[in-house]
Amino acid sequence: MLSYRLPREPSAPRTTLWRRLRRLGVAQLADGLVALPADARTREQLEWLAEDVVAAGGAAGVWLARPTTIAQERELAVSLAAARAAEYRELAEGCRSAAGSEPAERVRALRRMRTEWRAIGRRDFFPPPEREAAAAALRSLEMATQTAEAR
Amino acid sequence: MRWATRAGIHIDRAACAWLIRRFVDEHAEFVFVADPREVPPDATPFDMRGVALGHVGGDCSFETILRSYELTDPVLWRIAEIVHVADLDDDRFDAPEAPGLDVLLRGLSMTGTDEHTLAVSGPMFDALYEYHRRRTLLGRDPA
Repeated sequence: MLSYRLPREPSAPRTTLWRRLRRLGVAQLADGLVALPADARTREQLEWLAEDVVAAGGAAGVWLARPTTIAQERELAVSLAAARAAEYRELAEGCRSAAGSEPAERVRALRRMRTEWRAIGRRDFFPPPEREAAAAALRSLEMATQTAEAR
Repeated sequence: MRWATRAGIHIDRAACAWLIRRFVDEHAEFVFVADPREVPPDATPFDMRGVALGHVGGDCSFETILRSYELTDPVLWRIAEIVHVADLDDDRFDAPEAPGLDVLLRGLSMTGTDEHTLAVSGPMFDALYEYHRRRTLLGRDPA
């Protein structure tokens, strides 16, 4: 868990922090409090962010916390899985709409979608079923691109 | 000289250790600690929270060491881009090598000790350096 408080102004450090937290796929528990499943990597990433917050004139702390009930823990996992599910759905939709575009645009889209797939995968701690659907959509786009190349 | 960093090293710390031994201190000895308080008094800490040679203003520790020791070799700065993207995963640079290197280092941390990771990753960074040195000289990808 990362607790943080940043001055309202300047807004640039706030925006940067927000972007980095989003990339990590954190669960926002409250204002200035985010959580990630604990492992060496997530802990390190939150520690560096805490460092940045302090450097920007704010206050921050990294905590190892455990919910007191299983239900609360499950709720957190469900909300993280739901956030990733939405991203996977968007990816699948992007793949489907790219499949109908011009071959050159399709290749560019495929590259973009693969990058996005990896990015979502890195912050996916509780893979939802949508992951498989997105993988299938990505494979279809790959096939469509290869077929176009073969012609 | 002795250098200290957090145990369970990954891409940034492995790359820093290689950088230190090759370009800063050829007799460098490394100590791996679980907690910042365990850093021996005679050791220089790196890639840890609250030390000078850590992440600074969006830079990873490898970049911070390059700046601190005024290493301007463009090949090292190219490797810094790869390490940065592998470590911070923020697309600041175009570094297609990064995801592969990240996976290899992650795997090394699963199969051996930190000493083993350094022993194996050293020649990997040497190879990366040579490849990018030739690439810089040629102005294109070497054969």
